[in-house]
Amino acid sequence: MGIAKKLGAIGVLSAMLMAGSAVAQEKITIGFLPGVVDPFYQVMEMGVMAAAKDLGITIVTQIPPTWGVQVQTPILDAMVARGDLDYIILAPTDKDQMVAPLLQANESGIKIITVDTFLGDGDYANGPVTFPISAIGSDNTEGGRISARGLAKAINGEGNVYINSTNPNVSSVEARAVGFTEVMDNEFPDINVIGLDFNLNDMNTAVQQTSATLERVPDLAGVFGTNVFSAQGAGTAVVNAGLGGVVQVVAYDATKFAIEQLREGVVSLVLAQKPYDMGYMAVQFAFADSAGVTSLPTKVETGFAIIDINNVDDPEIARFIYQVAE
Amino acid sequence: MGSSGKSASKGSSKTASQVLILSLMQVWAWVFLACLVLIFIVAVPIISGSSVSFLSVRNSQNILVAITPVLLLGLGQTFVIISGGIDLSVGWVMSFASVISALALRAAYDSGLPLWIAVLAGLITAIIGCGAIGLFNGVIIAKLKVPPFIVTLGTSFIVRGMALLMSENTTVIGLPSGVRDYGNESLMYYIRGEGGGMYFFTKPEVTVDLLRKMDRIITYPVLMTALVVAIAIYVLRRTKFGRYTYAIGGNQVAATRAGVPVESHIIKLYVLASVTAGIAGFLSMLRFTAGSAVIGDPLLLSSIAAVIIGGVSLFGGSGSIVGTVIGALIIAVLTTGLVMLNVPSFWQFIVVGAVVILAVLIDQTRDIIKAKIGTG
Repeated sequence: MGIAKKLGAIGVLSAMLMAGSAVAQEKITIGFLPGVVDPFYQVMEMGVMAAAKDLGITIVTQIPPTWGVQVQTPILDAMVARGDLDYIILAPTDKDQMVAPLLQANESGIKIITVDTFLGDGDYANGPVTFPISAIGSDNTEGGRISARGLAKAINGEGNVYINSTNPNVSSVEARAVGFTEVMDNEFPDINVIGLDFNLNDMNTAVQQTSATLERVPDLAGVFGTNVFSAQGAGTAVVNAGLGGVVQVVAYDATKFAIEQLREGVVSLVLAQKPYDMGYMAVQFAFADSAGVTSLPTKVETGFAIIDINNVDDPEIARFIYQVAE
Repeated sequence: MGSSGKSASKGSSKTASQVLILSLMQVWAWVFLACLVLIFIVAVPIISGSSVSFLSVRNSQNILVAITPVLLLGLGQTFVIISGGIDLSVGWVMSFASVISALALRAAYDSGLPLWIAVLAGLITAIIGCGAIGLFNGVIIAKLKVPPFIVTLGTSFIVRGMALLMSENTTVIGLPSGVRDYGNESLMYYIRGEGGGMYFFTKPEVTVDLLRKMDRIITYPVLMTALVVAIAIYVLRRTKFGRYTYAIGGNQVAATRAGVPVESHIIKLYVLASVTAGIAGFLSMLRFTAGSAVIGDPLLLSSIAAVIIGGVSLFGGSGSIVGTVIGALIIAVLTTGLVMLNVPSFWQFIVVGAVVILAVLIDQTRDIIKAKIGTG
């Protein structure tokens, strides 16, 4: 399935290149609206800007200061009101609540591509939401499964594990927790998932919740942090409790902090998504669509890099660490 | 602030320039808003290209839609602050309302009632549920004499927890799709250019190309907010309820002596603040077609900022609803304008913060000048 998708993507790219050379295109303008200011989206923005430069496209970027539909929607509306945007690439902050505002944007002629998170169930071909062109992101359920297997290996297949996540009803982190729990339940009978907390994208809360869980479950073997804030918070709590290296942490998202903790032995596995690729590809898709390519896949999975202490210095892997160019 | 009375006897040597300064200070928020709009009208096409206009129908409507939650939270807050109190729970009360109105709407619709009745059930649930929270706030503040800051801070946590618990993981979904129309469709539709025109009440069935040029004018949430604003203006200006509110904020002891039922009035004020927050939550539930237990989180401080920019004194006794509307408009115009200029929207915080401080400084200076020249 993965290979088929990759081949699909390659086909699209070549189609785009041909289209690009054959058609004298009108210049397009793209709005980029990520979910919140954080290293993941900053790397994505680098990908967006790089593609824009390569293809000669103008980008208008707005980054919400905090995560939430009440913050993202007014910014979206204002971007639509500019009247000069042909496409908006965004990470919806809620898979249900952002449908109505985006439907309006779409109705006024702006085409939508979602990156990282998606709308509805992410199936824009047959799902409940079909108006966006494409959902470009990680297969988060698979990411959750990979994280589960990594953590299971680090704790030798037994013990209690805990999940710290951000917000419910956000497509990406929800799927990670589902994939994680599924693998633990099906493949590792001696591992118990003892809880799932939501830190509402606040690292301080993540620290507190993980600390409390360490109190509640003294023999806790491992923690899965489902995103930047969750993993950093979980790692911090483990270190604060003096359990660095004893309680294994799997971090979703390869921030510099997560890598630091990997080197210190607090984090045993870091799952790097490919936000740069998401951003780059989303701009390419908009470009291809404007050139008349009609066969763009409605879903693209950008894959993962799995980082552990053995490969962290390998340049082929290290390039997936979220680093924002100065 | 009650300081003008003391100095009224000092004489009345007003000069023309002093009067001018004083009246300018009275309307500074209007002037500031007008300047802001002018700056954006001029700067947006220059910086973002001539095809981008700040002065468009769509943008004006966006701004109206954007101010509705901040304004509704600010309305009740205006009354409370004029009376010398404060309500820190309104943001979370709004989230709570969003959740309970979604649950009620869904339950009513699933039981076979028509959509409009289900929507009405959502509104009534929001008003009653939030009214009860306001009653709780008001009784503890008025009867047990606990400072409003403390009581409403406590309530905000309680309500936040209740909203999260009831919301089935923060978001109540599964609402009938027709709800989206209540939250997003409008009284009028304007289609720009050839083949366009004005349409009333129902969304015109037109080609996709025309649909793209269609602006919604006065969406239903904006209409409802406007109604609430009109009622609030009337109540504060023209009724005994309004006069009592100013009296309590000016001097509570004097108000009691004058026969104002202070305790019961304070309770009513906190009920009012919670109810307007409840309406805000209900409308945002319609707009996003889902109940959300975190929807009001970022709005409390914006709404207080709007009230202060609008000239309501935190010491009580003075202020107006129109001022709060202007305050909310300034914040929304800033957000929209900065996005259209492609300036990071974080700048909004810096400007709003500066304007809040400026507002209080102007307020104080005005009182000093008034005292000097005598306005008795």
